[in-house]
Amino acid sequence: MNKIIKNILIGFSAIRSSFTRVFLTSIGLTIGIFTVSIVTAAVSSVDREFAKSIQSIGNDKIYVGRMPWSFEFDWWNYRNRPEIKEESLDYINQYSEYVTQSSMKQNYWTKATYENKASWLQMNGVYPNYNDMMTGTKVVNGRFFSENEWKLQRRVAIIGGSVGEGFFDGEDPIGKKIRLGGVSFEVIGELEKTGSFTPTGSLDQVIIMPTTTFQRILTRWTWNEFVLQIDPNNREKAKEEVRMIMRVARKLKPDEEDNFAVNSADAFTKQFNQMKIAIAGMGLLVTSISLIVSGIGIMNVMFVSVRERTKEIGLRKAMGATNSDILTQFLSEAIAIAIIGGTMGILLIRTTLYFIGSAIANIDINGMGSAIDLQMDLLLTFYTFMVCVFLGLIAGMVPARTAAKLNPIDALRHE
Amino acid sequence: MTKSRREIIGIKSVSKIYNLGDTIVKALDNVSLSINENDYISIMGPSGSGKSTLMNIIGCLDVPTKGTYKFNNEKISDMNDNQLANIRNEKIGFVFQTFNLLPKLNSIQNVEVPLVYSSLGRAERSLKAKKALKIVGLEDRMSHKPNELSGGQRQRVAIARALVNEPSIILADEPTGNLDSKSGTEILNFFDSLHKAGNTLIIVTHEDSVAKRAKRRIEIFDGKITLDE
Repeated sequence: MNKIIKNILIGFSAIRSSFTRVFLTSIGLTIGIFTVSIVTAAVSSVDREFAKSIQSIGNDKIYVGRMPWSFEFDWWNYRNRPEIKEESLDYINQYSEYVTQSSMKQNYWTKATYENKASWLQMNGVYPNYNDMMTGTKVVNGRFFSENEWKLQRRVAIIGGSVGEGFFDGEDPIGKKIRLGGVSFEVIGELEKTGSFTPTGSLDQVIIMPTTTFQRILTRWTWNEFVLQIDPNNREKAKEEVRMIMRVARKLKPDEEDNFAVNSADAFTKQFNQMKIAIAGMGLLVTSISLIVSGIGIMNVMFVSVRERTKEIGLRKAMGATNSDILTQFLSEAIAIAIIGGTMGILLIRTTLYFIGSAIANIDINGMGSAIDLQMDLLLTFYTFMVCVFLGLIAGMVPARTAAKLNPIDALRHE
Repeated sequence: MTKSRREIIGIKSVSKIYNLGDTIVKALDNVSLSINENDYISIMGPSGSGKSTLMNIIGCLDVPTKGTYKFNNEKISDMNDNQLANIRNEKIGFVFQTFNLLPKLNSIQNVEVPLVYSSLGRAERSLKAKKALKIVGLEDRMSHKPNELSGGQRQRVAIARALVNEPSIILADEPTGNLDSKSGTEILNFFDSLHKAGNTLIIVTHEDSVAKRAKRRIEIFDGKITLDE
């Protein structure tokens, strides 16, 4: 044991004498470790963001629209589908067993202005009961519009969590008049800020108003959706039922394909998981390539080291070093190079995350994330360290064995 | 004076044959040799005579193709690599023509190299190394690196390294070959004193002046011992 430690120390001391070379070689691994960490961090943060978004889509909702929530967008097929008409919702309300509540949701992007400020925002025209169906956010300031305001086509608006910041500089937005598409609206409510996105955009960049007002003031040409409240346990049955009702409502013949789509968060999850696998797969590929390249770099430098010190190996053997002594010496040299590279990689990623983190900290509302991150980081650091040791071992094995097997007589004669 | 001395090395009809494809080279051809404690031997011979091969076999760096080699009554010819390494570490001190000091290490560290492969602790190693450097008269050059020492001093560090494990024999291969005559004489005087102190010395050389100092002279030619007196 004592002897192994002595050989490891000899190996480490070789690092000091050729530091430039070792440093340059280990940079390869630094980059490798950096990529691994970035990919891991990216996947886990996308994951976290996604969980938030799923929450705002809602597990207990299904959405009927023209297009499915899919990343494989067959635009040319979907664009010719007829718009989702408000009348179809009556069929659903009348015939569906599973849908307990429903609302129309019309989407339209337009320019919103307040005094000299302007911004493109997503207008949502909804029914009054949409207030009860919102998930992931709620009115935290002011109120939602009432049944009467809906009937009377009032120009009232509820603004998303980050709209107010841009327009009112921290002043209370309630009662302020903003212009949407050139028409003045009164802000009556403000939503809680979520920081999440849905298939139709960010929840924080919306302006909600009655569908009636929406159609009268803004446009009839909109992107329509039905938001349907269901029991999540019956989601599949509810989706199938709604699909059949929609087919009837849209007067589709039995041999015709659906010209609408029934969406729910789980479909989005499936799509998203595929994307996540793709990201992780690419990451793994890039990572393993950079690890292999840096491993080859280490191996190369070790071959040079063995060649350069052939005479030393011969001498050490003449002085009584066994094959395993020499093997240990060169293996620990390779592992040391790997550890140096890995440590630099960990330090680099730590600094990078620190700066990104302090930039993000202002946006992060619930401080939950940071505590979890730290724990993950320590575990990750340990794994990274083990990967380095393993890589050094693999990369150093062949050169170290070459060194250990040298014949002392030939090695001593080597110039 | 005629106290019978213990035999350290017993070589019986040893041959070393190299098979180089279509030619077979007999580097050593049926050589027998006995070396006793406190012998002072010179081995001479032209290059290609087989003296290096004999030296390598005596030094346990190589094993014979045929014949038996006993070191302190242990059969070397049957040993594996690790056992040979152990014998080299504990029983043999090498001195080379080109000194073979490790350039990055200072004198003490160079002398400590054989001790690293024994089971000694750090303090004990450094103590032994200092003692060996004192014997060769370099106590004031302990932390110098080889490039800060003269040729003669370097060879003395190498001798200290050979002595540090108190070996049974000291094997010197052309120890004065790379030295000027003054330092060479110094080294040879030092070998004489090592002999007087009871050490067993084998010096491979082609210089008559070196061979004359030895008490026993062996000449080798074409793989055979031609003279042993």
